[in-house]
Amino acid sequence: MELFTPDLGLIIWMFVAFAILFFILWKWGWPVIISSVEQRADLIDKGVEYAQSAKEQLDNAREAADKQLAEARRQQADMLREAEKMKTQIIDEARIEAQKEAKKVMDAAKLSMEQERKEAERQLRNDVGLFALDIATKVVKSQMTDKKAQKQLVDSILTDIETKN
Amino acid sequence: MSANSTNIAIRLVLAVSAMLLVAPCSMAQNTADTASAITVDGKESISQVVDAQTEQEESAINPKEIIFEHLGDGYGWEVPFNHHVRIPLPVIVWGTDGLHIFSSSRLTHGEEYVDGKATFKIAGKDSPHKGKVVEIVDGKEIKPLDVSITKNVCALFITVILVLWAVLSVARWHKTHGHKAPRKMVGFMELLIMFVYDGVIKPTLGAKAKKFGPYLLTVFFFILIMNLMGLIVIFPGGANLTGNIAVTLVLSILTFLITNIFATKHYWKEIFWPEVPTWLKAPLPIMPVIEIFGMFTKPAALTVRLFANMMGGHMIVLVLTLLIFIFASMGPVVLGGTTVLSMVFSVFMLLIDVLVSFIQAYVFTMLSTIFISLAQDEGHEADHPKPQEN
Repeated sequence: MELFTPDLGLIIWMFVAFAILFFILWKWGWPVIISSVEQRADLIDKGVEYAQSAKEQLDNAREAADKQLAEARRQQADMLREAEKMKTQIIDEARIEAQKEAKKVMDAAKLSMEQERKEAERQLRNDVGLFALDIATKVVKSQMTDKKAQKQLVDSILTDIETKN
Repeated sequence: MSANSTNIAIRLVLAVSAMLLVAPCSMAQNTADTASAITVDGKESISQVVDAQTEQEESAINPKEIIFEHLGDGYGWEVPFNHHVRIPLPVIVWGTDGLHIFSSSRLTHGEEYVDGKATFKIAGKDSPHKGKVVEIVDGKEIKPLDVSITKNVCALFITVILVLWAVLSVARWHKTHGHKAPRKMVGFMELLIMFVYDGVIKPTLGAKAKKFGPYLLTVFFFILIMNLMGLIVIFPGGANLTGNIAVTLVLSILTFLITNIFATKHYWKEIFWPEVPTWLKAPLPIMPVIEIFGMFTKPAALTVRLFANMMGGHMIVLVLTLLIFIFASMGPVVLGGTTVLSMVFSVFMLLIDVLVSFIQAYVFTMLSTIFISLAQDEGHEADHPKPQEN
């Protein structure tokens, strides 16, 4: 059968054609394509890895930022509360201090007023005593001129003493 | 690699292997059936029909001749829709008195051509060199060394140019565009290249993929383009190249040479002194003989597998088309019915042949890869399973 007997001419040409094809592709075809595709695959792998790590970092950063923000808010609230507390405390302290001061002043004022008053009373007593003595002296001088009157007085005084006792 | 793409790859491999089991069997069956129908039983009935017809028509149809003419080689290339005009191709022969180069148009219709002192003609039907250019010396036909650019050789060159163009355009694209994503034609070519390289060559050969990859990829694309070009019925295609045993023979010889030239010591030890009971290898070298026989059956199987598959596909389509002409004499109803049926089946078979073209290119590459990888075994992992050959 003609179909099953290989033709020498075709075998030769086939060999030549394949050799040329193989040489050209081996030199300028396959290595370029394969290395390029592999490099691209590496590049894509790296890109994906990079994107993943970047995303992770971003997520981490966001989390950290959120945490810091919350912390800051908390601190702020604490500080405000502290300030509020301090304010009331200061006011209270100031009030107490003021009251104390006021009391002290009042006390001093009272004391000096008391002393004034006592001084005035003593003065008054002295003055009144002196006036009374003067008046009594004058009255006694004017009245004790007659004997009858002197006697009456002694009597009345004695009566008084008697009734008192 | 994602689970999804692995899944797809596994499915593809399964589908391909299923096709491998089914396609060649059915093809061989069909081919054998149809061929025998025509050559044996058909001989009488068809020739009777044809004989009956000859009275009415000028020329009888000889299906066998038509089929083998279309499957075989030729010195000219048919022009579509014309049986007489052929594209002339150069005939290059080394006759008794040296080199002769002349156009095949001088021999087309069986005439003798005198070039210098030598006389050439295409041998007739009864000659042992039927259809080949012979030199006539003293009335005897002598076959010279014939390296003519025949239809098949011309188709071979067209295929080489197509493969070069397809692959080098991808390479050039990579050089100019760097690491951008390829699209359209380049993207498709790259898909195919990486399908073979990452799917077959790399997993089988591992670190040696770079060394043998160029040969295997060249083989794959060469066979694929030859197969597909064979399915195009008019001029740039139509040559039954991979259905020609010379072409498949050269390819499998190359695989055989590469397998054995680059083979490791361990491979040769496995052949001449395999790890079997001693009485199997000495004094009678039973196992070595079997192993050496195995060395040669592998490329033989490669040759025949591709050849038979592609020739079978072509033959079925030819036979289906010829049925129309065979049944033409049986009345318009039969003719009409046969025409529709034949066309439907031809188209169907051609579509299957497109699939087979790819599968056979893939299988040839895969088996070559496996044969080469088996010869690359360093023997460190002594008990790794050998891949199954179908």
